[in-house]
Amino acid sequence: MFRNRRPRTTPALKCLYSTATEKPSLKLVAELRKRTEVSIVKAREALSASGNDIDAALEWLQKDLVASGAKKAAKVGGRATNEGLVGVSVLSNFTAFGMQRGLRAAMIELNCETDFVGRNELFGQLVADIAHTAAVISEPSGSFCLFSIQPEFLQDAPLISQSNPSAPPTGTVASAIRDTIAKVGENITLRRAMAVTAQPPTLNGTALRLASYVHGTIHRPTEGRIGALALLALRYPSPKGFSPKLTKKLETLERALGRQIVGFDTKSIDAADPHDQTALYNQPFITFADELNGQSVRNVLAQWSAREGLSFPDGFEAGIKPLDFAKWSVGEPLE
Amino acid sequence: MLHLATCKVASQAFAAARSSMRNVCQRSRVPSVSTTGRSQQHLLRDRGYAEVFQRNKPHMNIGTIGHVDHGKTTLTAAITRVLSEGGAAKFTDYSQIDKAPEEKARGITINSAHVEYESANRHYGHIDCPGHADYIKNMITGAAQMDGAIIVVSATDGQMPQTREHLLLARQVGIKRLVVFINKVDMISDPEMLELVDMEIRDLLSTYNFEGEETPIIMGSALAALEGRNDDIGASKIKELVEACDSWLELPARDLDKPFLMPVEDVFSISGRGTVATGRVERGIATKGTDVEVVGFGSTIKTTLTGIEMFHKELERAEAGDNMGALLRGIKREQIRRGQVLAAPGSVKSAKKFLAQIYVLTKEEGGRYTPFMQNYRPQCFVRTADITVALTWPEGVEDAAEKMIMPGDNVEMVCDLVFDVALEVGTRFTLREANKTIGTGIVTKIFS
Repeated sequence: MFRNRRPRTTPALKCLYSTATEKPSLKLVAELRKRTEVSIVKAREALSASGNDIDAALEWLQKDLVASGAKKAAKVGGRATNEGLVGVSVLSNFTAFGMQRGLRAAMIELNCETDFVGRNELFGQLVADIAHTAAVISEPSGSFCLFSIQPEFLQDAPLISQSNPSAPPTGTVASAIRDTIAKVGENITLRRAMAVTAQPPTLNGTALRLASYVHGTIHRPTEGRIGALALLALRYPSPKGFSPKLTKKLETLERALGRQIVGFDTKSIDAADPHDQTALYNQPFITFADELNGQSVRNVLAQWSAREGLSFPDGFEAGIKPLDFAKWSVGEPLE
Repeated sequence: MLHLATCKVASQAFAAARSSMRNVCQRSRVPSVSTTGRSQQHLLRDRGYAEVFQRNKPHMNIGTIGHVDHGKTTLTAAITRVLSEGGAAKFTDYSQIDKAPEEKARGITINSAHVEYESANRHYGHIDCPGHADYIKNMITGAAQMDGAIIVVSATDGQMPQTREHLLLARQVGIKRLVVFINKVDMISDPEMLELVDMEIRDLLSTYNFEGEETPIIMGSALAALEGRNDDIGASKIKELVEACDSWLELPARDLDKPFLMPVEDVFSISGRGTVATGRVERGIATKGTDVEVVGFGSTIKTTLTGIEMFHKELERAEAGDNMGALLRGIKREQIRRGQVLAAPGSVKSAKKFLAQIYVLTKEEGGRYTPFMQNYRPQCFVRTADITVALTWPEGVEDAAEKMIMPGDNVEMVCDLVFDVALEVGTRFTLREANKTIGTGIVTKIFS
């Protein structure tokens, strides 16, 4: 195989090179690249330094990645990053009066230079891990709203793998970003992060749920071009709780609400002007696969909760009420 | 009624624009440049007008795809520089090519073909391919089409994780053959490493169904070529690259060489002569007396072109781009209508259900403000036909009933027309709803 290919490099080319004393074998370089996706030059250097031993070379690379990654990151640091992914991680989407569990989720935006890198699995895994980390490290807050996490703070957190959460962290979020920069050769920046955490509500008969939706997904349903998280308060028939059937229906409604927030230019939950369609309540609900579809979100929520027996006894307030939401698109200007 | 009429007019305009875009390269094929032509050119030049473009070589659009740091722009500049020495290109330097960031900032998503050059037997328009979504959009709308591509890979890095994404894009937009340029070979001290780059890229090409073993891979240094040093890895490699493009990349079939097809725009009945269908020939050549088929709307009727007319004059032959009237033997006026096509027998079939790649226009582009779900039913304008179409997700898509399509999305969807119409893979169409163009698409697969 190799012999056939050799003549492709012209003799004129060959005389330009000096032969190294201890040559790493091609096979090993190829093997190392398959395992780590490092550049050819690096793979060769690693093997030379470790005497053609693949395990030693892997170790060498791990150490080198810190220095070379930092160098690469510094080199590409100034370049604009307008592509990338918004990733959502929901650890727990439900809590209610008298329950032992809280509610917890996070959303992050990680940027890169081209959408070729944005579509790559390596980048996708990094987004998933960072979103997961953000959700895990957020402190429960007393208020019922979404709060932002300083990217600088998140950068220093140990990266918790989303696919294998029990594995000990091998580095921080910042070092994981740096490693990926070294592999894909593009600038990568953590633009923003936010979380929502809540303790069980103290008012009897109330519950909190979380709606989330991500649009324009590639590899995972949790990361894509536009993402939304919304915190909903609803009536909770304690102590017996929601039936499994009702939970299913709730989930369908929540997904539809998430899509509605993403699909429309949603800026607020309610507005005084009934024709203002940037307010969620005023929008025609068009993403709900239900016979209520087509009416305003306000009406649908009221009618749906009446139908499912979730209205409050006084009959004034709908049984489901969005408290707060966030919607992010990749690369949008920040206010 | 009024809006239906305007829709038709719009469709006609689109059809004309579409076919003129396709035909513009082939139409003005002048068999021999006459002396009068030349003197005219001189006259123009003396008067200070733009130079007259000589179209004596087949044209092809070629694109560079690669990692941001692997030297796409340097390579493009190097190609123009090397070819300009023989007068076959105008040297376009780095700063002139690399307008993409500014254009991007101004909202122009793709810098299509502002670089051109000629090889011994072809004329190339050069496209830079900045991103996946941008390019797919341009491919669907027909704004920029790559017929072939050069994948640029740096020898120092080898292929990178995102090289997969580059090849996937090429696959998705229907590029069948690629040429690979391994750049920066002067930075590698061990020639064996170049073999590894070569080996890896061939493997990867085969993985993505390109002809890995046969694809030409040229190793050189674009920078050396641009700076005019080290001819053995510089200029001579660039020449080799262009030769590889010439011999390996296949020219797209030209409209004139394809089988005859004319969309029917209008039908008249002329007493004493018979039924005449008018339209603009989309491709191919028709001569008087040839057999044609009327395809679409549930029937395929065989007939013969008994006469061709253009501007009230009888013609022996009509070709792509001509507006003609076709006199059809034995066809009653009721048997043929707008939206059908006249085609060479067996060259095109009618279909109702097909898979298409669709770009949904944003509201800034004049499209919808709001998203939609499957079973949406806009009007589909194909050539001169306008037919209601239902859009659904292809089989195997999870949660199809809940998946939303937003303005700005590129999606692959199954289109189900109310009537059948002549369709092929590659046919473009427009989706409209209430006087608004909401999307454009391209047929990728025919079901029935």
